[in-house]
Amino acid sequence: MRNRLVPYLFVSPAMILLLAFGILPIGVAAVISTTNMNISAFASWSNVDFVGLDNYATLFADKDFWQALGNTGFFAVIGVPSIVVVSLVVALLLNRGQGRFFRALRSFYFIPAITAIVAVALVWGYLYNTQFGLFNYLLSLVGVEPVQWLSDPWLSKFSVALVAIWRGTGLNIIIFLAALQGVPKEYLEAASLDGAGGLRQTWSITIPLLRFAIFFVSVTTTISWLQFFDEPFVLTDGGPLGATTSASIFLYKEGFRLNQFGYASAGSIVLFAIIAIITIVQLRLRRADDEY
Amino acid sequence: MKRTVRTAAALLGAAAIALGTTACQAPAAEEADGPLTVWIMGDSGTNFETLVADSGIDVDVVAVPWDAIDEKLTTAVASGSGPDILQIGLSKLRTFADAGALLALDDLLADYPGLAPENYPEGVAGLSTAVGGEIVSVPWVSDTRVLFTRTDILAEAGFDAPPSTWDEVREYAKVLAARGNGNYGYYIPQWDAPLPIQMTWSEGGEVIDADGNVDFDTPEFEKAVDIYTGLYSDGSVPTNSDFDQTQGFISGIAPMLVSGPYLGKGIADAAPELDGKWQASPFPAGDGGSIALFAGSNLGVWHNSDQVETSLELLEYLAQPETQLKWFELTGELPTVNAALEDSELNSDPNVQVYTQQLATAKVLPLVSNWDGAVGTELLNALNSIVLQGADRQSALDALFSATEGLSIN
Repeated sequence: MRNRLVPYLFVSPAMILLLAFGILPIGVAAVISTTNMNISAFASWSNVDFVGLDNYATLFADKDFWQALGNTGFFAVIGVPSIVVVSLVVALLLNRGQGRFFRALRSFYFIPAITAIVAVALVWGYLYNTQFGLFNYLLSLVGVEPVQWLSDPWLSKFSVALVAIWRGTGLNIIIFLAALQGVPKEYLEAASLDGAGGLRQTWSITIPLLRFAIFFVSVTTTISWLQFFDEPFVLTDGGPLGATTSASIFLYKEGFRLNQFGYASAGSIVLFAIIAIITIVQLRLRRADDEY
Repeated sequence: MKRTVRTAAALLGAAAIALGTTACQAPAAEEADGPLTVWIMGDSGTNFETLVADSGIDVDVVAVPWDAIDEKLTTAVASGSGPDILQIGLSKLRTFADAGALLALDDLLADYPGLAPENYPEGVAGLSTAVGGEIVSVPWVSDTRVLFTRTDILAEAGFDAPPSTWDEVREYAKVLAARGNGNYGYYIPQWDAPLPIQMTWSEGGEVIDADGNVDFDTPEFEKAVDIYTGLYSDGSVPTNSDFDQTQGFISGIAPMLVSGPYLGKGIADAAPELDGKWQASPFPAGDGGSIALFAGSNLGVWHNSDQVETSLELLEYLAQPETQLKWFELTGELPTVNAALEDSELNSDPNVQVYTQQLATAKVLPLVSNWDGAVGTELLNALNSIVLQGADRQSALDALFSATEGLSIN
């Protein structure tokens, strides 16, 4: 009888943390999303009224919200494959050597991941600057007109995504490098005895054995791109004219600039549902082929 | 059964705790000791420390960046721990007051002659910046918008005086932009939401109708849109959002723009060699005269400050004409006290004379809750989508009208 309680005892610290910082806030947000709570609630709670699903109705009719969702989808479509492919390729190349040079390169690739985003944004902001930026200076040397990296609605999406890809690869390279240590040498030796070249070995042995790492990186990267916030926030503040406003930035602006807490909570519940559904689909797809 | 009892006990316990907390908050706090915490906007924190060094009051200054104030306010109000005194940009005043962040000062001001409404210009004094009939702040610095021009570049182009109307601005800007080589004639900051409002005022219009509702559907606003979009369609204005206005002015790329006294200070500091080659002149006029923005900031006392008396003493010190003039020397921010604004030494600088004269007719933005976030953003989105993305003018304006419908100063 008593023994049955022991497992619960062991998982309880983790469960309490999960409940307090994971489930409870979602519950609170769900409740707030059915009210018209704004900053005047702090003056007196009587300013808060229950409005049912009005916030959701307004949200789905809000073209800014759809624009933000569209941008988020665009960022994810651009960003996730880029990060997975780039970090996989870089990890495979780095794994070809163990010398001092390769070790130095590993830390080199990791630097963007550990640099503070504000410093990153400052430097990239100067690189992208239309008047004084390095990129436009280099272009001017070959006679190209100044490019509006962060002011053109289309180009700014790519400019912002590029910084995030540059920043996001470092950590994933480390994950792939760690997974590469788990690829048995025997398989590769056997393959080379059979006459398989380097590319063939990578394609038919290494990458299939990295399947779990690739899956893990895809899921975490997808989630982080759906929550995309830092780079557009510091580089463009969601501009020009909402072109780089991700769903998270939209929610942040509604909640903390416009103080529409109820409305922003409704949006965050919708975003949460979207992320949850996409992640569940990914997990299901994976379950189909976990044997090899 | 047992579970019900336990739940009931837990609920009772929670209720007791809740009651306990309310009871603790009730008695009026004694005047506490220790330094006053003051939130000063922008990068003037160190200057403020210099300013209050002689006041005899111990002050702990926190510099809050302009674009972080909304977040800072929200967290401070929600957590209940704010400063003792805070600087409030006039466009944020209504939002702060609605959040209950500011102490009503009506009954407290009588003991402080320096803070009496008659000391200040009418536009910001006493009830003109009251929210819901309560005075929640006292004026601190004033700020307005004037036209800055590079007189040397204008002279080269054959203009011996700065433009005085918006028609002239367009005409001059076109000629100046024709210099080519990456040069422009005029600069419109893409974040400058008050600019079209000032254009509307100068055309003789209002953005608030007789009932106190926000109303952009007026012929005067249409004229303002004509000016705004016209400057872009003439090709006189840079279209990149990261254009640096101070650098643009100093390098002569954009030799005309509307800005505040801080730009004058910025130019004087960054490019002393340009002295005499630029000047401030009144905000360009429309059919209704030259009416610019009364921007500036007020100071308020945090609603649950435990040092209200000391705070008011500091406000009184800050309202002295000498203190106000010293602040101008330190930061280039204009005084709000009439006695300081009329100071002859202050007005000996011809540019400052332009500022103080502009203030005489300047108007405060309507005290609509969250003006910047709601009205300002929508206005900029509408106008910038027309000029930067070629959106259809009428549908962009219709979207603006419907987005701002129902907002009111009441």
